[in-house]
Amino acid sequence: MASEKELADFLQSVETRAFKRSVYHVRDQEAALDIVQDSMLRLSEHYGDRPPEELPMLFQRILSNCTLDWFRRQKTRNALFSNLSDFESAGDDGDFDLLEALVVQDGSQRSESAEDVTSRGEILHQIEIEIQALPTRQREAFLMRYWEEMDVAETAAAMGCSEGSVKTHCSRAVRALAAALKAKGIQL
Amino acid sequence: MNRSIPHSTVPPGNTAVISQAQLQDEFGERIAARLDMGAKVLPHDVTARLLAIRLQAVGRRKPARVANVRARTASAVFGSGNTASMSMGGAGGPGFWRRIASGLPLVVLVAGLFTIHMVQNEDRLRELAEVDTDLLTDDLPPAAYTDPGFIEFLKNGLQQTERQDR
Repeated sequence: MASEKELADFLQSVETRAFKRSVYHVRDQEAALDIVQDSMLRLSEHYGDRPPEELPMLFQRILSNCTLDWFRRQKTRNALFSNLSDFESAGDDGDFDLLEALVVQDGSQRSESAEDVTSRGEILHQIEIEIQALPTRQREAFLMRYWEEMDVAETAAAMGCSEGSVKTHCSRAVRALAAALKAKGIQL
Repeated sequence: MNRSIPHSTVPPGNTAVISQAQLQDEFGERIAARLDMGAKVLPHDVTARLLAIRLQAVGRRKPARVANVRARTASAVFGSGNTASMSMGGAGGPGFWRRIASGLPLVVLVAGLFTIHMVQNEDRLRELAEVDTDLLTDDLPPAAYTDPGFIEFLKNGLQQTERQDR
């Protein structure tokens, strides 16, 4: 059973990313805070006696459910579920080469100038815009898989779908992001 | 979660051997690293609200299961040697005896209802037997009560007796 400190430490470790993920989903800071609050309270009230290792998966599931609940309350269910781009065929990627979006580092250390800092902030802003523009399921799969560092099976369990669906969502999300960032002249 | 932007594992000029999945993973990790950087600088009001939410959630933490508390209580009783019955139950003892105790009132209730039913049945049979005995031992034969004239005689006789009494 997770002690009070373990629960507090866990919540502290996930709160920032949970908030940012919610912002990407609902695009409203106050609503995102409400979702995080609901999720943390549900986890604590209903699963506060679970072992610490079970908390991450439970929280991801609860956070997803709370986000869904928010969309339902906002009566934007259609926007959530019927985004046609989720059903686009995989063949529409054309000849886009993912390698072009990746810059090979030469390994040499460079000093960071103020211009670099500004540029980095702008790149982050553009990345966040493109992530928000992703279809909901693709965004959810991508963020869980890469930001939360969950494996495919864990992501599938948290999203309530198959592992194949997770791979498909992630692949499409990566291609969409890479294409959008390349169009803006951004290389990672 | 601290994570730096990963350097590319793609060797220049040798891209053919890199699988698409590896490229995707590398791209995803780079995006995640950028997002990590952004998550480190949240507005003060947001961090304050998140702190308040966290404290509220920890304050409402679900308490330990009641079964654990009971188990601790039972072991304390066992340790002090208060009752032999507790010690016989082992780990599941308290629950077993509690179930027995909770079923006891029901057993008593059923036994009481059965006893009341038996006593009332006995009383009714005894009353019927007394009536039968009175009828059979009387001077008047029981067949007389089936005669309409005798019934009428009884009614008239009773009314006359009542008038005379007045």
